[in-house]
Amino acid sequence: MDLSLYLNSMRDAAGLPFYPIVFQVLLVLTFALHIVMVNLVLGSSFLAVYEVSKKSEFGARLSKALGRVITVGLSIAIVLGVAPLLFVQVIYDPFWYTATSLSAFWALMFLVVITLAFYSSYGFYLGNKKSGPGEMKARWAYVAIFFLLLTALFIHMLSMEQLTPEKWKAWIISKEGFVSFSGGEFHSVSLGRLLHFIIPSFAVTGVYLMLYASYFSEREDYDSNYLDYVAKRGANLALWASVLTVASGFWWLGTIPKDFSFAQNPFFIIGAVLGIITTAYLGAAYLSPEKRAKNASILMFLTIFFMSCAREGLRMRYMNKVGYNIYNYPLNVDWPSTILFFATFIMGLFVLCFPAAAAFKAGKAPKGQIVTINPTIVRNSLYLMIAWFVVVAGLGLVISLKNGTLF
Amino acid sequence: MYPFWEVPFFTSGLVIALVATFHILPCHLATGAFWFNVYVERKAFYEKRPELLEFLKKYSLLILIFCFVIGSLSGVGIWYAATVASPRGISALIHNYVWGWATEWVFFIIEIATIYVYYYTLGRIDEKSHLTLGWVYAWAAWISMIIITGILAFMLSSGKWVETGGFFDGFFNETYWPQLFTRTALMFGIAGAYAVIVASTLKNKEVRLELVRTASIWGIGGMVLGAIFTLWYLFKLPEHAKDLAFGGTLPYLKGMLYVAAICYGVVLLWFVIFGLIRPSLSRPVIGIIILFILFAGIGAGEGFREGARRPYIIDRYMYGNQIIANNIPAKNIKAEVPKFQKEGFWSNLYFKPDNLDLSKTKDRLLAGSVIVHHQCGNCHALDRLGKIRPLSLLLENLATESPGDVADFLDALGDYPYMPPFAGNDKDKEAAAEYLFSIVRR
Repeated sequence: MDLSLYLNSMRDAAGLPFYPIVFQVLLVLTFALHIVMVNLVLGSSFLAVYEVSKKSEFGARLSKALGRVITVGLSIAIVLGVAPLLFVQVIYDPFWYTATSLSAFWALMFLVVITLAFYSSYGFYLGNKKSGPGEMKARWAYVAIFFLLLTALFIHMLSMEQLTPEKWKAWIISKEGFVSFSGGEFHSVSLGRLLHFIIPSFAVTGVYLMLYASYFSEREDYDSNYLDYVAKRGANLALWASVLTVASGFWWLGTIPKDFSFAQNPFFIIGAVLGIITTAYLGAAYLSPEKRAKNASILMFLTIFFMSCAREGLRMRYMNKVGYNIYNYPLNVDWPSTILFFATFIMGLFVLCFPAAAAFKAGKAPKGQIVTINPTIVRNSLYLMIAWFVVVAGLGLVISLKNGTLF
Repeated sequence: MYPFWEVPFFTSGLVIALVATFHILPCHLATGAFWFNVYVERKAFYEKRPELLEFLKKYSLLILIFCFVIGSLSGVGIWYAATVASPRGISALIHNYVWGWATEWVFFIIEIATIYVYYYTLGRIDEKSHLTLGWVYAWAAWISMIIITGILAFMLSSGKWVETGGFFDGFFNETYWPQLFTRTALMFGIAGAYAVIVASTLKNKEVRLELVRTASIWGIGGMVLGAIFTLWYLFKLPEHAKDLAFGGTLPYLKGMLYVAAICYGVVLLWFVIFGLIRPSLSRPVIGIIILFILFAGIGAGEGFREGARRPYIIDRYMYGNQIIANNIPAKNIKAEVPKFQKEGFWSNLYFKPDNLDLSKTKDRLLAGSVIVHHQCGNCHALDRLGKIRPLSLLLENLATESPGDVADFLDALGDYPYMPPFAGNDKDKEAAAEYLFSIVRR
């Protein structure tokens, strides 16, 4: 059996319940959202340690704020990561399952290290809540950074192994004919690509700080000097990290097979141009970072989104090379479940307006002031949830009665 | 077949079981806790009792730190564990229920957004809006249970799906409703247990006793209703599962039920004695011990569910060794056993040495090892000192005296109601039998 036959025969027998392009778009979009949060967490962890080392009042205050960002951001990053994890298994299942089985031990270790990273970050956040400048301890943040980097390495390795299917067999079958079932394979690490993921963490964190300063600038109980400190730190960090990201991008570009002509990929070109524009904008934004924060964040997200599209294009090139094309995946279109998801997705966006409005308004109000949320938003979000339940439970009862599965 | 991952002594199946059992504690807490939280907040809001807010803060923080770290990670962990232990099994579920999981993901996002905003805006936004945030979280969390129960129940009883291939026909199957009601009741039991533990740490004695008692009543309600719905669940089990569990074929399954019943009984007694009758005796440390007992009970209950669906990992569709058992014409899916029996299992493998000469004993043993790992290794430990259904010991008990005896046993596998048939041709069987004979304990 050759590799191409193996890959295509391992596609799931049930086929896809909807067109592959839809899963691909969802995969890229949710990955972009996920990676932004991952970058924010990683960059914030490093910066929190740096700010502790400054032993200044502003440094301590910023470090505490970042402690909260790390814990909340990690939760959100994990939940956002569920979606690309799901969609990649749908259209790239032979690659995903093979690589993960070959490195089963490391796939499970990923769970251990990210749990340790999580609790270490909580240790840093909760342990320093009441500490003043000079009293803060960064040891848990160091531990968190160590485990976050390990997490990144493991996930990077699992992703890269999927791109090198022609090497899989040699990893587990010895010349004597023994097949290894250990699941301990660890291969295909690309330092250039890994750095091109880690360095943008600082750029994303920098832009976040600009947004932070901009958002709290209307709060009277926030010291404007502190916000100025945060905004400058953010703009500086975002600018230099963006420059380094571009440099690491070129390094990584050099490691990609020439025959892929990746530099001519339209998504890559758009992403690269956006990256350069973002860097230039950040340079110009240095003098008034608070005012430029929103535009900088939009540019940054667009860059990340188009780079995610380019990453997907690159994956397709790797996989086309071994005779695998997601667009000819057998179909068993299932409209009812597709409608269920998209209807729920739209409903979810409406429901999320409520917590978003609550968080936004509460954050803008000075301490001690209680804000009121628009009762229509509040009421409707709850009604939508109950309506979803009524519709699906009703549907379930009808189907169960029809199929004779209820009693 | 995908590359096989072997867990020495214990099998990869046990890894999934452990992760899945552990996941149930935080995830049922996440789904049930806010119904209780909202109840307490309503009291605080409508009866003007701000002293109850201490509990809300502590309980919410517990949910954040426990459920949204351990819960969400162990949830992802089940996927990873299933991916490495049974890749074709999880692939089959995902390709049939991807939109179900994606729908559940929308509710995860709502959950995480509302729980953080709920925690950080306590006392920052108007009371009514804050209370509604709690309601939105409670509904979102319970709906995520409503969705995942359909996929879990599908593995035990695939309903009309085998005929129609329809998403909802498999989702709303025979055990869906009883499982949903049982899990819903259990979530109140688990939420009650955690609430008792948190309430036991409160400084205000009056509030402490009141909330310990109230949480215990919730817990008792959950445990009692859970027991009633479990009877409905057992009644609705597919016939072959009932035969396995209660017809004497797999007596250990009944044992699992007894263990679960005893554990839940102990938890119920704890609620009654330390919560309802003498709440002043309630201590966090006792509550934590009770959680371990609850963990054992859940493990036994889940072990029963997984055992009762043998030989399948997905009822009537896929065997535990990830080989497709039956044709599903609606999805154009073909059973694989006849194919492997005709073409050979070995010849359909990709991850195998290419240069083996199967006329040589040494090479046949190598090939047999690979075949046996794929066909038996998901459920049976293959080491000589294996602990989970060790094949070496099972074959010793069968008094096999030659590879031919083992081959006869492989021929008869399909006659056991809880075993998949051997999926391969005579050459595969010969190689597998020789390898198996080489590991028999003597």
